[in-house]
Amino acid sequence: MSRTATHNTVAPAVRTEGLTVRYGAFQALSDVTVSLPAGQISGLIGPNGAGKTTLLNAISGFTSIAEGSVHVGHADLTALDARRRALAGVVRGFQTVRLLDRESVLTNVLIGTERLPQPSALAQFFGLPSQWRAGRRDTAAAAEVLDLLGLTGQAHRRVDELPFASRRLVEVARVLVSSPSVILLDEPAAGLDQEGRQELAAVLTRVHHNHPSTMVVVEHDVDLVKSLCSYVIALDSGAFLRDGTPAEVFGDRQVQLAYFGRAAGADA
Amino acid sequence: MGDLGQILVGGITTGSLYALFLLGVLIVFQVSKSINFAYGQVGMIAAFSAWFLYSEQGLPVPLALGVGVLLAVIVNSAIDYAAIRRIPEGRPGLDLVVTLGIFLLITAVMQQLIDANAHTFVSLGADSRAELGGVVVSLNDGIVVGLTVTIIVGAYLLLNRTSLGTSLRASAEDAGIAQAAGVNVRALRTATWAAAGVIAAIVAVLVASRLSVDAFYMTPFLIKAFIAGMIGGLDRFWLPLSVAVALGVYESLTVFILGASAGTPAVFLLIIVVLALVPKRFVNERNEVRA
Amino acid sequence: MTGATITRPRRSAQPPATGRGAGARRILTRVAVFAVIAAVPPLLFDDYWVFMSAQVLAFAVATLGLDILYGRTGQMSLAHASFMGVGAYTTYIVSSYGHGPAIQLGAVVVVALLAALVVAVPTLRLSGLRLALVTLAFGELLAWVIRETTDLTGGTQGASVDPIVIGTWDSSEPLHAYLIALVPAAIATLLAAHLGRTQLGRRMLAVRDTELAAESVGVAVARTKITAFLISAVYAGIAGWLYAAIVGFIAPPDFDLFASVYLFVAVVIGGAGTVLGAWLGAAYIVLVPELFTLAGQPNLYPIVGGALLAVVALLVPDGIVGLGRGLWRRVRGARGGQEGSR
Repeated sequence: MSRTATHNTVAPAVRTEGLTVRYGAFQALSDVTVSLPAGQISGLIGPNGAGKTTLLNAISGFTSIAEGSVHVGHADLTALDARRRALAGVVRGFQTVRLLDRESVLTNVLIGTERLPQPSALAQFFGLPSQWRAGRRDTAAAAEVLDLLGLTGQAHRRVDELPFASRRLVEVARVLVSSPSVILLDEPAAGLDQEGRQELAAVLTRVHHNHPSTMVVVEHDVDLVKSLCSYVIALDSGAFLRDGTPAEVFGDRQVQLAYFGRAAGADA
Repeated sequence: MGDLGQILVGGITTGSLYALFLLGVLIVFQVSKSINFAYGQVGMIAAFSAWFLYSEQGLPVPLALGVGVLLAVIVNSAIDYAAIRRIPEGRPGLDLVVTLGIFLLITAVMQQLIDANAHTFVSLGADSRAELGGVVVSLNDGIVVGLTVTIIVGAYLLLNRTSLGTSLRASAEDAGIAQAAGVNVRALRTATWAAAGVIAAIVAVLVASRLSVDAFYMTPFLIKAFIAGMIGGLDRFWLPLSVAVALGVYESLTVFILGASAGTPAVFLLIIVVLALVPKRFVNERNEVRA
Repeated sequence: MTGATITRPRRSAQPPATGRGAGARRILTRVAVFAVIAAVPPLLFDDYWVFMSAQVLAFAVATLGLDILYGRTGQMSLAHASFMGVGAYTTYIVSSYGHGPAIQLGAVVVVALLAALVVAVPTLRLSGLRLALVTLAFGELLAWVIRETTDLTGGTQGASVDPIVIGTWDSSEPLHAYLIALVPAAIATLLAAHLGRTQLGRRMLAVRDTELAAESVGVAVARTKITAFLISAVYAGIAGWLYAAIVGFIAPPDFDLFASVYLFVAVVIGGAGTVLGAWLGAAYIVLVPELFTLAGQPNLYPIVGGALLAVVALLVPDGIVGLGRGLWRRVRGARGGQEGSR
């Protein structure tokens, strides 16, 4: 964990102002203004179609914004594309696991080191010393994350040979490997069994403890949100509903109506 | 002005052939989201075997042409059935690789079955000319433009004014939903590939009647039609077809102004310039992120 | 090659100490196998087959380049043979002014890069399909240039290229040609293998498999595609340089659309995305037509090539190498082993 000291930046707050996203006539997000507190793990909850993933897409630059703005710390990221937002420290995982299926776990995680300063294409191609140094640094970072997620034994397996739960973890590992200051995870626990969920929550808590970051987790499992998150934002039908501590939000009548009322059986 | 008029007539006729050919590419792309690189060779099969049948085997020309069209329909449907439908999920671009192999296979087989030489084809009215306002127009030009307009307008009406067209557009939009709504997606898809086979055969026969026929002659046509589709967008209708006609006119004009050999570099230059200048959003296929 | 600090898991978990040694040993084994195979033609073959082997070396540089573009980055070029032609004709023109191999090579690299920039920069900021179509047009353009500049290039009749002469070595001598070509082929192989261990190489894989994930971690997708195209064009140019020197005669059909398709067949059959597959493809592209000719059926080659491309792409998308790996994994799988990096 010594490497991480060099990337120890103060985690910034994430703020959206009047965010509106439209797909044709359908308004996926309407005028959403939320603040994700700096250095905390926030849970993003809401029934299906509430706009959770759209909000994540809008923050990470994967959907075009009709109105409003996205701020990270003091910087306005609204005009940046997804790649530049990643380089600025906003890295997200996908709900549908997006991996390089025919490559090894290690390769999939190493992709995530793109954010670290990489030598020029020529230096890499011809294997100049800067490439060796970067390679050693990246491999060490990957080893650390794989260890953290218990994937070390699978490092050289092809990801399409792994069970789904492990593939999920690889997706998370790719996000974590560069220690981004803003981490957005879209249902990282989907498809995991109860034990896997608890392990993942423990891992994320540990990661968060070791590398201060502003983490946002879209999650359905109320218990998981309560144990993992110190702050919760509830959305419904593309609009902001409520925010606060888990106890406040889950105790709110409106949230219970929107969320439990409809999804009581489906949220686990 | 007579010269220029002549050039324009030549350009519009060639452009019409590009457009008609592109129509076949467009309907296949929209219904099955794939590109058939062997499409030109499907047309070549029709024209080359028709030539072989009437000229070497003594069949009456209309019968030979009919057999040629039938062959094109069978081969095009077979490409979809035996290859395109079997492409595994998650391997984008494989349609191009597979049909590239089929392109090579068809070319080699036709060369082996018939020969590698160029042959003159039935003229289909290319000899009967008339002068209209100082411009010489052949019956063949008229047939080309007439057929192109008829088929394209027919296709447009079919797609937009009939329930069959609605089903087609629905399955192009989202095959899963269309299937659920009771549309027979597989049958529609087969019909589309068969129709595209007919179109390829018609274009190939018309091109052969204007130039000559051999195992390779459709490739430049394929390239031009693809280019027009690329500039205009494969998921649109009128724009790519207009670009195809414009490309034919542009080609004729450069040949007229700069000389007979200027056509190839002029077309290349056009693509590079258009692709460099046109805004990215305009020319990209739809790939919205719904992560 | 790299000091991989993660150990390759052996049958059971072993202490990390063996990791570096095992990696170095594996690389040494591969270099040794390469050296032994490379020594076979000069020691055992007659002049004609040494000449064919030298061509395999030249085509290996080409297939390695196409593999970087198609196998790793997932972009289709239908002008790879045209870029070989760019290299071959640049060699011919430069050597006709009396310049030696060093200047020839420099000119080939520069011209290939410039041509590739013109094709790739406007095209690759867009989708991959467009690259395939624009490269198609580029092939036509090259054929046109050669046809229109008969004085300079020999036109459709082709041109005799002077052999590469280095000291007492002369590439018109099959053995010398083989040894001269071995050096660039070995370097090209080494660099292509090393590419797989760099972030640049991983960017390419990410662009091939999932552009969204690539962007989400900060990969510049368009720039990665362009880089891959430039590298592949330089590889093709150098292959054309070697081809011109070894064969001594070049003509437009050597570099037309069909030649490009054959290169594609080679890469796909060998196994896209692997260095070994590119070499198998190069052997295929040189030796199989020769075998058909020896069997008195030269016309069968394109038929077999086309059928193989379609069938292999559909049924065995990872080619011979993928087939071999699958078998190997099954054999090892019975003993609980793992298969790893390429």
